[in-house]
Amino acid sequence: MLQALADGILTGAIIALGAIGLTLTMGILRFANFAHAELITWGAYMALAAVSLLGPLGGPIGPFSFGLPLILGTIAAMALTSVLALAIDGLVFRQLRGTSNHLTLVFASFGVSLLVRMLILLIFGGAATYYSNTLQIAIPVAPGLRLMPDQLFALGLAAVLVVALYLFLQHTRLGLSMRALAENPDLTRVNGVSTARVIRWTWIIGASLAAVAGVLYGLTVQLRPEVGFHLILPLFAAAILGGVGNIPGAVIGGMIVGLAESFAVFILPPGYKMAVPFLILLAVLYVRPTGLFAGTAGAAK
Amino acid sequence: MRRYLCSTAAALAATTFAAGSASAQSCEVNVGAVLSVTGSMAAIGSAIGDAGQLAVDHFNEAGGVNGCDVNYILRDDQGSPNVGVDAAKTLVEIENVPVILGAIQSGISLPILSSVTVPAGVTQISCCSSAPSFTELAEEGGTDGYWFRTLPTDRPQAVVMATIAREKGYERIAVVHVNSDYGNSLAGNFEQAFEALGGEVSSITPYNQEQASYRAEINRALQGDPDSLFLIAFPADGATAAREWISFGGSQNMLLSNALRAEEFVNAVGAQYLTEAVGIDNAQVEGESVEAFNASWKEQYESDPSGPGLHTMYDAAAVALLAMEQAGEADGTAIRDSVREITGGEGEEVYPGPEGFAKAKELIAAGEPIRYVGATGPITFDDNGDVTGPYLTWGVEDGALVTLDTWDIERVNEAMAGVSEE
Repeated sequence: MLQALADGILTGAIIALGAIGLTLTMGILRFANFAHAELITWGAYMALAAVSLLGPLGGPIGPFSFGLPLILGTIAAMALTSVLALAIDGLVFRQLRGTSNHLTLVFASFGVSLLVRMLILLIFGGAATYYSNTLQIAIPVAPGLRLMPDQLFALGLAAVLVVALYLFLQHTRLGLSMRALAENPDLTRVNGVSTARVIRWTWIIGASLAAVAGVLYGLTVQLRPEVGFHLILPLFAAAILGGVGNIPGAVIGGMIVGLAESFAVFILPPGYKMAVPFLILLAVLYVRPTGLFAGTAGAAK
Repeated sequence: MRRYLCSTAAALAATTFAAGSASAQSCEVNVGAVLSVTGSMAAIGSAIGDAGQLAVDHFNEAGGVNGCDVNYILRDDQGSPNVGVDAAKTLVEIENVPVILGAIQSGISLPILSSVTVPAGVTQISCCSSAPSFTELAEEGGTDGYWFRTLPTDRPQAVVMATIAREKGYERIAVVHVNSDYGNSLAGNFEQAFEALGGEVSSITPYNQEQASYRAEINRALQGDPDSLFLIAFPADGATAAREWISFGGSQNMLLSNALRAEEFVNAVGAQYLTEAVGIDNAQVEGESVEAFNASWKEQYESDPSGPGLHTMYDAAAVALLAMEQAGEADGTAIRDSVREITGGEGEEVYPGPEGFAKAKELIAAGEPIRYVGATGPITFDDNGDVTGPYLTWGVEDGALVTLDTWDIERVNEAMAGVSEE
């Protein structure tokens, strides 16, 4: 039981990081970006490439299975994922942003997600890999609870990033502009805020968080080209649960989805656990169509 | 129309052969085969058909069955149960075959068995259908003993693994298996055998393929403090599950299914964690009788008999014909009752090929018992018409896969007997 709680929180933290980026782009750019999950995969694999280049820089630090190469690799992955996100935006989404039909953008994002996944498959192959092949043995923390040092690291990093992002949005001018754009785009533009700049930063923040989510996923689970594909539905469930555009909502949504998947195994055969986020999503949408917490006014329109 | 062309062609082939054989006979006896010569299994189906033809040719060369030439009638099921049942009906009702060889797919063999051969009292011997449902059907009495197959099922594998686990002193074992027909039946058979041997299965957890993480499944398997794990999986998913099992404190006393005998699996998990693990696999059968078949195949078809189902199909045909010779008549029920007389037992060994069959005919004529040792080695049908095969166990030493032990058929049979006595 305790183990399921710990696993659920960890899965939830990774989903939350991905869902924050998704909820930001959904709130500010006003379309469901199915390619967002592929940014997670891309980030994870960029870090893998960096680790294989930087390997000689140092071995594992302390109780963790990774060292300096992965930390530098994560930073490189954040940059490279941001570049990819901006490139996708410039080449695809910006061209389509003027079209009246929102579905055009959604379908374009489907196409982009396929392209990115195939590109990863082409470069890195389809087999499952790990940042480090050494197996980390979980340490018994309490009766019935075992944790790996890497998992604690992942949880800690996710928490720090969420808090930092929240402070950034509340206390900086750029954060204020982002919230304003999500709330009312026209009024924001009238007030002289550069929407292009805000959109650019939205992509960078969303993509960087996605890259970190990918690295943490690769660190605590494994790397596969289908990582993003398997995460896409939990991500959407988390973002919608929390209310589109609502960042604390996305975090709580991620936790709910992660815990629900983890605890579902006690009731349902493990094969059906993937269906659990949907059941929650359906239940929430039935009772509260705008999500558990109110989303941004713009997104709710 | 194709059906008639097929049978005409087969009949022509048989006639041509009979003309050239040493002893031209005046009478003929028909043997039917239903195989997927076209359709999804076409790539292997026609070669399997050739293997049946080879056995019939060898028998005709040795003088035919009961003084009659054997006429091999091959019908195509096109990979479809409907077509297969139609073909089998035609063979039984129009060609009056006492025995049908086939089919390849379990999904075709089963309807033929239940709607054609059992009601008509015709013996059916399959080269290739491995589904466990036939064993269940036979146990319930649904086959009336007319069903045989020359391909081992997964039950002996489960029994051997259960025996090894008990020998190693495992008391409570968790089973994690791939959620497929194969995984379900192997897990079920293992549980039955392990409990018959006095052990306890703490949990059976199925998993779906191609998931990134099996943490939830592994947590469930860890409930109840098992002292060991039987992992039934394919290499990639198996490595994911085994890694999570070990890192969450699962015992390194692991039993591994045959598909995990792969370098990929050992490298992904880490050889240092697999030193206690024991795996199982089908052993390659060796011996004079196997060589005899391989040599005559090469001579006839100028290629290596490397495809699936060739050895088992030859044996299916040979067993049918020898049983017919033993029975002294071309009757399905008589053949059914004679199959075990010419396979298990202590009789004189006979091998594949015209000389082997000629020797068998002489011995049978003299009233001596024979034992057919075929292209797949010694064959012993159990009460359900299933055969066992030899196995080997493997482990990991110094980072490499090594063979630990071999289980020949006698040892496997002993283990099977040990379980069924309970």
